[in-house]
Amino acid sequence: MYRIIGETHINFIGARKYAFLLSAALIIIGLVAFAMVVTGKANLGIDFAGGVMVTGHFEQPVTIGELRSAVTVEFPDAEITNLKDFEKPNAFIIKTKRPESEAEGKQRLETLEKIILETFEGNTFTIVSEHIIGPAVGETLRGDAQKAVLLSLFGIIAYIWIRFDFRSGIAASIAALHDVLAVLGVFYLLNLEFDLLLVTALLTLAGYSLTDTVVVFDRIRENLKKFRTKGEFAHAVNSSINEVLSRTINTSLTTLLVVGTLFFFGGEVVRYFALALILGVLVGTYSSIFVASPIAVEWEARRPKRFK
Amino acid sequence: MSRHNWRVILTVILVILAFIAFWNTFKLWTMSEADKETLNERDPGALLHLQQKAIRLGLDLQGGIHVVLRVKMEELDKGSREDAVERAMQIIRNRVDGLGVAEPVIRKQGNDRIIVDLPGYTDAARAEELIGQTALLEFKLLETYDNTSLILTKIDSVIHDNEQAKKDTTGKTPQETTMVAQETEPPADTTAESTGEDILTELMGDSAVDTTGMFAFEEETDLDENLNPLTSRLETALYNNRSSTNWPGFAVLKKDRELIDKWLNLPQIQSLIPVDVQFAWSTRPEIRNNREIYLLYLVKRKVQFLGKFLQNIHLGQDSYGGYDVNFALSGDGAARFSQLTGANIDKPLAIVIDNKVESAPFINSKIRRRGQITMGSSATVKDARNLEIVLKAGALPAPVEIIEKNIVGATLGADSIKKGFFSSLVGLTLVLLFIGFYYRLSGIIADVGLLFNLFFLLAVMAGLGATLTMPGIAGIILTIGISVDANVLIFERIREELRTGKTVRASIDAGYTRAFVAIFDSHVTTLVTAGALFLLGSGPIKGFAVTLFWGVTISLYTAYIITKQIFDIRKGYRTLSI
Repeated sequence: MYRIIGETHINFIGARKYAFLLSAALIIIGLVAFAMVVTGKANLGIDFAGGVMVTGHFEQPVTIGELRSAVTVEFPDAEITNLKDFEKPNAFIIKTKRPESEAEGKQRLETLEKIILETFEGNTFTIVSEHIIGPAVGETLRGDAQKAVLLSLFGIIAYIWIRFDFRSGIAASIAALHDVLAVLGVFYLLNLEFDLLLVTALLTLAGYSLTDTVVVFDRIRENLKKFRTKGEFAHAVNSSINEVLSRTINTSLTTLLVVGTLFFFGGEVVRYFALALILGVLVGTYSSIFVASPIAVEWEARRPKRFK
Repeated sequence: MSRHNWRVILTVILVILAFIAFWNTFKLWTMSEADKETLNERDPGALLHLQQKAIRLGLDLQGGIHVVLRVKMEELDKGSREDAVERAMQIIRNRVDGLGVAEPVIRKQGNDRIIVDLPGYTDAARAEELIGQTALLEFKLLETYDNTSLILTKIDSVIHDNEQAKKDTTGKTPQETTMVAQETEPPADTTAESTGEDILTELMGDSAVDTTGMFAFEEETDLDENLNPLTSRLETALYNNRSSTNWPGFAVLKKDRELIDKWLNLPQIQSLIPVDVQFAWSTRPEIRNNREIYLLYLVKRKVQFLGKFLQNIHLGQDSYGGYDVNFALSGDGAARFSQLTGANIDKPLAIVIDNKVESAPFINSKIRRRGQITMGSSATVKDARNLEIVLKAGALPAPVEIIEKNIVGATLGADSIKKGFFSSLVGLTLVLLFIGFYYRLSGIIADVGLLFNLFFLLAVMAGLGATLTMPGIAGIILTIGISVDANVLIFERIREELRTGKTVRASIDAGYTRAFVAIFDSHVTTLVTAGALFLLGSGPIKGFAVTLFWGVTISLYTAYIITKQIFDIRKGYRTLSI
């Protein structure tokens, strides 16, 4: 029998004060990031902010600097990325943000293409994809994404409330929110882009975090039948966490194997999606141990009620 | 074990169903580009058919075009704003139809937006031209039936010779087939109902028709054995009670359209067609005798009249319940139209929008200021409404602008799909190895369950006609994680039970039973998330939600039915490799 870890008796609950400090910091950064996204000040992807994006490749080598100086004359906010792992060499993504009107988007695209054509005469630029997203469309998408997050949050609280109790539902949701905010915060600090794919990743990691929490809660529910006396609640919680620890680590490891592969081999499009999931798995594992369960313990200590 | 037989039976049934659902996708995915070309060469339309039945690939994976248009309401006066979006959509639909796109989507969004999706179509310039241009409505006369059949028979022999030349080496003697275009007795005379107004009559689908000597669909024969490759695919579309003129339009089965287009565009056939006429298709397919058909017309190129002179177009209904479309003519147009209709009474007048024929009603009488197009008794309100919209679109074009455009070239799509598949394969292999090593024989059982999970997931997607996108692939990868989690939960539980000193058999059963609650609850929470994403997400997010939803559902099945069944094959366990 291979075992990564054997039987453990780590006092996770005892360490909760330190964990709360760390989590509070993560949540604060996350809230700042969230406020920036809502007000549109964060680095929003063109699917949320609206904008123009062109992907293409040159026939002959062009440096990113040459391309940048050519484009920024007209579009100072243009962002240029070299697509390194594309099958054709000299491939670039050029983005400009936030057209003022819907019609301006198309205008920009045409200007952009004209600039490239004129600056690099004789060096053919083959366009492989073009995107124009008007500002209104971006706003609609942002609204939809927010609604999706809220709906799934309510659904999950309701479900856990039915299956466990109200307190568990709240504790699990706080843990999930904590994870979402933590990843949001990291993305904000790294100045990475917020786009529709990131929202997908955030919802996925919320789901993942809940799975972890539910597994721990399930074990707590089972163990509480054994611990009859009131004072042993924290003890029951702690041994439950220890008992499912090898499952928690194994599952996190396998999930990391897949999202890690996606990060390294999935290509430019899903790289940050995969990064968000990697962070999510890590923070989700942490939160099921150090956030959800300690909240239940604190709550029980103040207003004893016992898990069902 | 016999009490578990239902699991085996159910799984076998599901595997068979999955094979059926997945078959077309499997065929398509294992085909090389060269194979696809040969298939398309041999039977145009077959590839499209296959693509429609296989798992569809999203814009990001196969390339394609997604455009959002805005109808420029500010350029229209108040009266013509109503229906403007419908008019524009109708025009786009007419143009997109026949491009060979497997699943075009044209849909209204909000008050003034139109979404157009053309997955797999990567000719951006052509698409923009098709979508963004303002409609052109023209009236043209048709070539007579006699002349048309003459041209068709000539084309027949050229195609026949062509096909013959291709297959000459086989040495087969062509079988004599008897279909030739013949001069024909005119069908029985019945008088058209007359109403007080000047009328163009379009009578659709009247069934009592004498088709002697007309073209009719033939049983399919090999191309090289068929003397009339073209006309055997046509059926004279006779639906009228006219005595003097035969209808010069021909019904063509939808599946033959691409092939016939190919033939008609061959240079040696183009040279057979007189310069003053051209072949034109009907704007959209219709169902006749339970077959989906297009009509093929031979239209005179000369433009007789322009749609912009039409006014006040509206749908009406006569006292017998038949539909008609009424119109008036503006001052400039009235004289020209009355001259045109006066000189061509009893002949069909083709209503041509963007070079496709909307319909070709007969001219009943000279039309001066007001006219009416009466539809046949079998025409539905939808047919009438389509005609009304096309006339309006030609009279009052709805100008559109592109506000969102998403064009992914075929190379970028191919690049994404390659990476998506590669990373999925690598991730899958790593997981299979990890689980196999860590839980040994039990791990291998879990691996088998995981492979079943993926196979069922792909089959469900094929069966549902779902679209696979890059986020969808991410959803599949996540499914792998969830499926593994279920097994890890069970195995860790079995190990715990073993440690308490239970027998192997009892430990397996207890492990499965006790882990169930945790697995069920964690799966359901993921389902809730997937459901919310599906309801409110758009495009790529939806693709992710669909794969996640089914992946999680199937994971419950594979963990509790399939892998449990494998464990149950052996009854008396002494040891367990876990």
